[in-house]
Amino acid sequence: MFPDRQARSFLDPQALSRLAGLPLFARRPMLGSVSGRHASPHRGASVEFAEYRKYVPGDDLRRLDWRAYGRSDRFYVKEFEADTNLRCCLVLDTSGSMNFGTTGTTKIEYARKIAGALSYLAVQQGDAIGLCCVAKGIINSIPPRRNPAHLMHVLDAIEQAQPRGETQLVPVLHELAETIRQRALVVIISDFFIEPEEMRSCFEHLRFRKHDVTAFQLLDPLEVGFDFLRPMRFLDMEGGPAVFAEPNEIADRYHKALQTYLEDLRKVTLETAIDYHRISIDQDYEKVLMQFLVGRSRGRGVR
Amino acid sequence: MSFLQPLMLAALPLISLPIIIHLINQRRYQTMQWAAMMFLLAANRMSRGYAKLRQWLILLFRTLVIAGLVFAISRPLASGWLGLAAGGRADTTIILLDRSPSMQQQGAGGVVSKLATGRQQLVQALMTLGSSRWVLIESTTNVPTELKSPDALLNLPSAEPTSTAADLPAMLQAARDYIEANQTGRTEVWICSDLRENDWNAKSGRWRPLRDDFLQFTQGVRFHLLAYSQAAPDNIAIRVTEVKRQTTSDGAELLVSLAMTRQTDTDDVVSVPIEFEIEGARSVLNVEMAGPTYELKDHRIGLEREDEIGWGRVSIPADANSADNAFYFAFSKPTSRQTIIVAEDPTAIRPLQLAAGISPDPSLEHGAEVLTSEQLATVEWEKIALVLWQDSLPEGGDAKLVQTFIDRGGQIVFFPPKAISRSRSPSGTSTPDAAASAGPGWRTGPTFAGMSWQGWAETDDELTVETWRGDQDLLANTLSGASLPVGQLKIRRHCELNGEATVLAALNGGDPLLTRITTDQGGIYFCTTTPAANDSSLATDGVVLYVAVQRALATGVETLGDTQQLVAGKAQELIDPWERLAGAEEALSTDYAYHSGVFSFDERILAVNRPAAEDLAKPLEDERVAELFQGLDFVRVDDRAGNIDSLIQEIWRLFLATMMVCMVVEAALCLPKLRPAEGASA
Repeated sequence: MFPDRQARSFLDPQALSRLAGLPLFARRPMLGSVSGRHASPHRGASVEFAEYRKYVPGDDLRRLDWRAYGRSDRFYVKEFEADTNLRCCLVLDTSGSMNFGTTGTTKIEYARKIAGALSYLAVQQGDAIGLCCVAKGIINSIPPRRNPAHLMHVLDAIEQAQPRGETQLVPVLHELAETIRQRALVVIISDFFIEPEEMRSCFEHLRFRKHDVTAFQLLDPLEVGFDFLRPMRFLDMEGGPAVFAEPNEIADRYHKALQTYLEDLRKVTLETAIDYHRISIDQDYEKVLMQFLVGRSRGRGVR
Repeated sequence: MSFLQPLMLAALPLISLPIIIHLINQRRYQTMQWAAMMFLLAANRMSRGYAKLRQWLILLFRTLVIAGLVFAISRPLASGWLGLAAGGRADTTIILLDRSPSMQQQGAGGVVSKLATGRQQLVQALMTLGSSRWVLIESTTNVPTELKSPDALLNLPSAEPTSTAADLPAMLQAARDYIEANQTGRTEVWICSDLRENDWNAKSGRWRPLRDDFLQFTQGVRFHLLAYSQAAPDNIAIRVTEVKRQTTSDGAELLVSLAMTRQTDTDDVVSVPIEFEIEGARSVLNVEMAGPTYELKDHRIGLEREDEIGWGRVSIPADANSADNAFYFAFSKPTSRQTIIVAEDPTAIRPLQLAAGISPDPSLEHGAEVLTSEQLATVEWEKIALVLWQDSLPEGGDAKLVQTFIDRGGQIVFFPPKAISRSRSPSGTSTPDAAASAGPGWRTGPTFAGMSWQGWAETDDELTVETWRGDQDLLANTLSGASLPVGQLKIRRHCELNGEATVLAALNGGDPLLTRITTDQGGIYFCTTTPAANDSSLATDGVVLYVAVQRALATGVETLGDTQQLVAGKAQELIDPWERLAGAEEALSTDYAYHSGVFSFDERILAVNRPAAEDLAKPLEDERVAELFQGLDFVRVDDRAGNIDSLIQEIWRLFLATMMVCMVVEAALCLPKLRPAEGASA
């Protein structure tokens, strides 16, 4: 695929070719610059009939429905749905906590795989792809474009993304909601270790801007299971204070806190209509993406 | 709680092992980079009540497991014998067993006596505790006897009940002597007693030196008191106070006086059938008893004229204590009251002769013969009850004769001779004047029973008697409680005495008037003046002299007759060859002296009974007992007759069970909580 370059570690060509069979659909109408395979809020020149409209002077006479004129002696213009491409903006969390991983891979590596695969899929079907690496602020921002050279650029940025620093996802998402042009596909890949209620506002902001938001939450199995035997000293990867804990003493409360958080987050995502995917990073990313794409194709057609 | 293997308790610090392991584990923490800090922080903010408690509980139960194990291998005993732990197994265990009649008291509703219960308990306890040597000191002989094993107590004849009183101070003295003589190691002294005042003699001066002696033993002497102090309010004790045989016109009759006592404060009336058994013939007399005492005076029982000597028994039905339900007595014709008066000058002791020769009861035969010391060999000593000796103290053969008489139970009163014989080392006698001015080189005259006359003390004024013993002995108050007119006596001249004696009456100035020498049998009295008119007013105020002489005579007669009333345990050497006519079947012939009953030898009959003090049987107060053992290593446990629960029992099983329970609980607490298997994936 990229003969002049070294293969990227986060891209598996075979997996990509398998995924390429499935189109990446948006769940809601997108505003693209060229025609594509996504629904558009505007009428266009697709083969899909939309509605009849009264002729007004200035309308292209080629679109006048002569058969209808013949039957009713009135001028009607036949309108068709427009198909357009989309702008996909990947928001990649590159804070320190993304460097965590106990199953042989880290969250950031897993995030690179998802981001890389989605970029490839999007560009392949003619959609524009942009990238925004987020830590304490926006580290790296690449606006959406749809040419393969741009894909190289995006993949380079994904490869070079280094996890460090705190997470300031909430202000960054607010900022992106404003700066990305309306009706884009926003894919957030993060561990979302933020209070769900704080997330709610930015999700609502993104929705208000008519973005189709997808959230991939990456969790390590150890974070979910918390199976420790010995007393542990936990160092915060984002520079916070260290915590000393006797695991069998604290495990109960840890699980309680975790469950509460997960439930709250799920509730927030449901209420804000976010396409939320909780992923354990020991899962196969191809399956995860497959599920994601299949889920999307079922929801196509909503205008 | 006490332990058979207290050394194992040294392992108790091991219980800190779980805590130490916990602390070590805390220090062996791992450090990890962690992303999901928000949950840890949230968990830390949450209430950690139960989780924290669970940790402590787990630690506690682990500690308890080890403690249970350590305690179990220390072989704990469940008992009231606190403080048994120190030092472990005893080297010597001395058992002091009170065999007095009051120990025969039975428990409520039971048929087991205090003594039997005590023996059983001792056997069980001592078998469990173990010791290298077992020594029994029982209350009749106070002689330490080594036992092979404590269970011998159950069958040993010398642990059976007797009719003798116990003398706890003497028993402890014997224990003390044993410890001292044998240099025993750590010694346990177990006292099994019912704490009767008369047995314990708490007021005795012997307690203090005993306690001091025990305190000085360095090997550690521990006292255990197995006390059976419960009283039996319904128990009635019967006792014959006097038996007289007298001849009547149609034969003879027996006048029996008896007394019954019971330990009650109520006045409820109980009907008591008293059974009299005279030579096998029985009669029953029903009496109503109200209050704590009952006295029957001169109950007449007819006799055949030819029954000149015999024995009898009074008894009441069985009650709480079977040992005081019967009383034995023997009767015979009254014995003649013969006195001899040994005097330098037979004419000068006329008042003595009169005092001894006039009997208070004209029906009794009596006589007083005046002799000189040379005529002693001609006397029929076996018929003499009293000797009044107004001469130099007997020496040589005379002294032997007199000593034999006293050993047999005779009474003798010495009066000072006119001239005190004193000898300077080789040469002979001296005049009284010389004696009065005798220097230290002079040796005093003859000595008898450790006493000797020193010399006459002349005083210008007449001396009077300042103090005298009105509670007992020759000068005791009369039965009605009135004191003798001893204070009216005027002593013009008295002789000084040399030697140790109990003073019965003292003159003003401190010199004794009447003293008594302590003897096993018989009585030796010294009167330091004579009844002569120029010596004292003993003759003119004759009441005191007459009463004292008649009392001494009566005491002497008691040992002389064909029958004799004895207190159990007081006449060992007399009893041995005697044959039992009635009494406890289980008594060994060598132990007859300690058991109530009737015994015969030759033509004489001897009735042996429990001491009078046993009937009163008041228990010693608890504080008093604690006072007696103050400062000593002393443990007391109160048991009751008929108790079948062992005093001590090993309870290591309990600790082992506790340990297992703790292990199970600990395991249950350690089990991780079941969590719903919720995956991380959405």
